[in-house]
Amino acid sequence: MARVIVITSGKGGVGKTTTSASISTGLALRGFKTAVIDFDVGLRNLDLIMGCERRVVYDLINVVNGEANLNQALIKDKHCDNLFILPASQTRDKDALTEEGVEKVLKDLEHLGFDYILCDSPAGIERGAVMALTFADEAIVVSNPEVSSVRDSDRILGILQSKSRRAIEGREPVKEHLLVTRYSPKRVEDGEMLSYKDVQELLRIPLIGVIPESDDVLQASNQGTPAIHLKDSDVATAYLDVVARFLDEDRPLRFVAYEKPGLLKRLFGGK
Amino acid sequence: MADASLQGKLIEFKGASLAVMTAYVRETDAVRLADALHMMLGGMPDFFAGEPAILDFSQLGNSPDRVDWTAVLSLLRRYQLQPVGVRNLDEHLQEGARRAGLAVLRAESFSAERPVAAAQPRTPPPAPAPAPAPTLSPTPVEAAPQAPAAAPSDNGLDNGLAPTLVVDRPLRSGQQVYAKGGDLVLLAGMSPGSEIIADGSIHCYGPLRGRALAGARGDTSARIFSTNFGPELVSIAGVYRTFERGIPQTVAGRGAQVRLTGSDNLHTLEITPLQYD
Repeated sequence: MARVIVITSGKGGVGKTTTSASISTGLALRGFKTAVIDFDVGLRNLDLIMGCERRVVYDLINVVNGEANLNQALIKDKHCDNLFILPASQTRDKDALTEEGVEKVLKDLEHLGFDYILCDSPAGIERGAVMALTFADEAIVVSNPEVSSVRDSDRILGILQSKSRRAIEGREPVKEHLLVTRYSPKRVEDGEMLSYKDVQELLRIPLIGVIPESDDVLQASNQGTPAIHLKDSDVATAYLDVVARFLDEDRPLRFVAYEKPGLLKRLFGGK
Repeated sequence: MADASLQGKLIEFKGASLAVMTAYVRETDAVRLADALHMMLGGMPDFFAGEPAILDFSQLGNSPDRVDWTAVLSLLRRYQLQPVGVRNLDEHLQEGARRAGLAVLRAESFSAERPVAAAQPRTPPPAPAPAPAPTLSPTPVEAAPQAPAAAPSDNGLDNGLAPTLVVDRPLRSGQQVYAKGGDLVLLAGMSPGSEIIADGSIHCYGPLRGRALAGARGDTSARIFSTNFGPELVSIAGVYRTFERGIPQTVAGRGAQVRLTGSDNLHTLEITPLQYD
């Protein structure tokens, strides 16, 4: 059985696509056959972050409309053999997504032997976002440590509770995970930012990880390499931890405590 | 052929009973009504979510010579209230109401207690003056799935048999639950931006952070209980309070109850800490 995981948030710019790219890569690195679908019809970002934008020929809408088959549309990742990307369409709009069409794509992916299917949700609560979460078995809700982002995440959790197939059919509810991204322990210490504990207290779902704010993320997306590939960086380590926790391994939280820079660091600068 | 058998039935009539809200209109001047509604409902233009309503003029101060129905109706519709009829309206105003598309209902066709025949709307008891949302039903798309429209009970509010609505999962921003005729129990708290309404009392285990309205049909003995108090608004039988300047220190984040004290015409909302030990 393929597990369908939606990466969602409500608010834009919180790191959904970065997270989708890194977690799908992480799962593929663990040996799972993984597909990641960009549901942001009209805006198409995932292929850029994954560095495969030049290889896009067919997209999700083509497959939904039966203009191409899955094998034609799936793009093999340049780093991992068992990771495939299904890009969004840039020329169509969200109305082109139909529930039956999406369901068929997911079923077909399952027949192709995929273990995990990640759905990278667009921002907002419109059609694209609802389509991305409709068939989810699990949801990773990405939130920045900031009130409006938390409020939007809360809203999307409500929609998950009411519009997902699992909810409508009265099956076991979608398993929810909270991922706090762009976290800056220093700004939390200074009282400028909500702590991850505050965020979790507000949303009341299990925490799967905290991703520190880092310039590496920008650099990684410019290069078209998922951040999880940046060897020895905090961000990559944090995402590897998230993947491990997703697979039910125990990992302590890292990068959440603020350490004052030492004397040498203060004298000689550096980050 | 299915077509043939349906040929004569392009439209079919069946009796239905409808729970409907009564708006006691005490002023017919559209401008003054607009001010009052704005005061009451503030920035919530979609407050009534298309709810049908009967306009009752029994409490109208002095009867005007004429009523600008177009203005009054468009004002109410702006709040998505859907007036369907009028009652207790003076004879000389009825023709205008009819022309405005409203049904003129005979006062005796209502029985507040028992909805006897089909198509006889039930009339809730009058709520005290600023009564927000007497009968909002949960919005079908967003309401939590475990919040079915509780079966309407003819029993009224006082026999203890009204159904209790229990919500097991956290209520999220944008969700709304209405416990019709009875109490509401939240087992996992509620988030800011969500709304709970009960005709009886509200019991919230976990954070109470959205809008909580108890005694929505005028039960002044209804109360709100919470183990973690921090709402945006509380209301009992229409007497409400917001917390612009923050929640009082004695109850913020703690167990607290909200109830009405005082006599019939001078109700005040009292918020007190709950002692468990």
